[in-house]
Amino acid sequence: MSTFLSLFSYDFMINALLAVIIIGPLFALLGTMIVQKRMAFFSDALGHSAFTGIAVGVICGIVNTTISMVIFAVIFAILLNHIKKRNPQNVDTVISVFASVATAIGLAVLSFGGNFSEYSSLLVGDILSISKMEILYLLIICIVTIVFYCFAINKLNAISINPTLAKSHRIKVQLIEDIFAVIIAVTVMLSIRWVGLLLINALLILPAASSRNISTNMREYTVYAIIFSLFSSVLGLFISYFINIATGPVIVIIAAVIYFATYLYGRASK
Amino acid sequence: MNKSNKIIFVIILLITITVIGIIIMALSTTKQSEEAEGNGKFTIVTSFYPMYIATMNITEGADVNLYNLSEPKTGCLHDYELTTADMKLLSKADAFVVNGGGMEEFLPDIKANYPDLIIIDASEGIDIEEDNAHVWMSISDHIKQVENITTGLCKADPTNASIYQQNSANYINKLQELLATEDDSLKGKKVVLFSEAYEYLAKDFGLDVRGVLDLDEEKDISAKELAETVDIVKRDKVPLIIAEKEYGEKMANAVMKETDVVSLYLDTIIRGDYDKDSYINRMQDNIELLKGTK
Repeated sequence: MSTFLSLFSYDFMINALLAVIIIGPLFALLGTMIVQKRMAFFSDALGHSAFTGIAVGVICGIVNTTISMVIFAVIFAILLNHIKKRNPQNVDTVISVFASVATAIGLAVLSFGGNFSEYSSLLVGDILSISKMEILYLLIICIVTIVFYCFAINKLNAISINPTLAKSHRIKVQLIEDIFAVIIAVTVMLSIRWVGLLLINALLILPAASSRNISTNMREYTVYAIIFSLFSSVLGLFISYFINIATGPVIVIIAAVIYFATYLYGRASK
Repeated sequence: MNKSNKIIFVIILLITITVIGIIIMALSTTKQSEEAEGNGKFTIVTSFYPMYIATMNITEGADVNLYNLSEPKTGCLHDYELTTADMKLLSKADAFVVNGGGMEEFLPDIKANYPDLIIIDASEGIDIEEDNAHVWMSISDHIKQVENITTGLCKADPTNASIYQQNSANYINKLQELLATEDDSLKGKKVVLFSEAYEYLAKDFGLDVRGVLDLDEEKDISAKELAETVDIVKRDKVPLIIAEKEYGEKMANAVMKETDVVSLYLDTIIRGDYDKDSYINRMQDNIELLKGTK
């Protein structure tokens, strides 16, 4: 037990724990909406745009590339949202094109002069180097998301069920979808350095998808998603600390185990 | 779907995963607990191999803990990510010896996380080639690094200062002997380097460096760069390529096919066994190999 408690004697572990406690519910909430609206691919594409965001920052000489990442991702998300709307038949193709272009431009710029290895940490992420200030940013975006969630969840649901019907109820479909896209963009960009580009979408999608396997109403759906997300994040952080491997993958593995278990349970009890 | 059944299912699922997690953790911590804990002694952590060897020589016989960060599995330190074990180590450390000159890219993170940690920059006051911090590859510069580390350690840990100074003087003597075996018989010899690290060695020997191609495990060399290298070798009739065996061999072979150049593989001393004479022995091998190309 004392070995277990020893991990709280390190500042970086306390910071990382705070970070996952914020990231967990935040991702779960966003994830429920993303899964509901079938936007899993959209959030994945956003993650890829991080490369271009950094590249733009490097070109413009912005020292803090997080700013350029967030700005670029917000523009990217809104643009994608609008183009998606014009081509409802092949949304996945449009998103794929956008994601590929963003990745390619980012890689091209960042690999200039052979320096890509400097940015490879973005792929896997590193929760251990998070600082107090960055936790504060995450907290702010978490609060914004919760407010947005309380205010817009019914409207978002209405839109995802039938956009035309939603419009006839005077729901500002475009505005709400844009705000939602911007929140996803900001969240993904602020957490990508800690979670890693390769895994960020898994963390968004898996808890919500697991919850969907066993939930029968919206309240269950949300509550289970938050429980699963928080559980896999905190346990994943502890395990990764003790067996000395990267945190992100452990969290995702736990979340995946939960997904498959709930999937089997959901099928068996139908 | 029965609601209470579902809650029971979720609880059982989460408990099962937690138990499995704890078993995994328990299995791995029994291994880790053998690691030495901070025991009140002055604790020094070094950032990587050459710094560790130098500090090992300086602190020989002093009652201190000396650790090296876990080694990068590939290549140089540039893009190294700190592991949890490293962070634990650093949180116990009193002094952290780094090569400096931008080699440790994680240094700002460490400074932010551990503002009280004394950081000893071994390259202070040394002329650093642009974006190239492989200072230890020049024996004359490495002597200065040893001096810097000694000064830093004496200031940080005055109780052992006399031991440090004594050891340092001995080690510098050895390094100076090694330096004396370098001669200027190769002065002006044209070379192309396949790693920035050799620029410092080339400086010591007065080699005429016509081109540097910085190869490491993650670097993709564009066709243009390779073509330019071949052109340089042809145009300047460069007789020698110095490369790292691991990362430079393929490229060196490619250039050798096109031209009459010969390649020589030298050691960059970035990892290896923790023997205190390691640096001297391996550098000696480098010098002999280089002299052999006369």
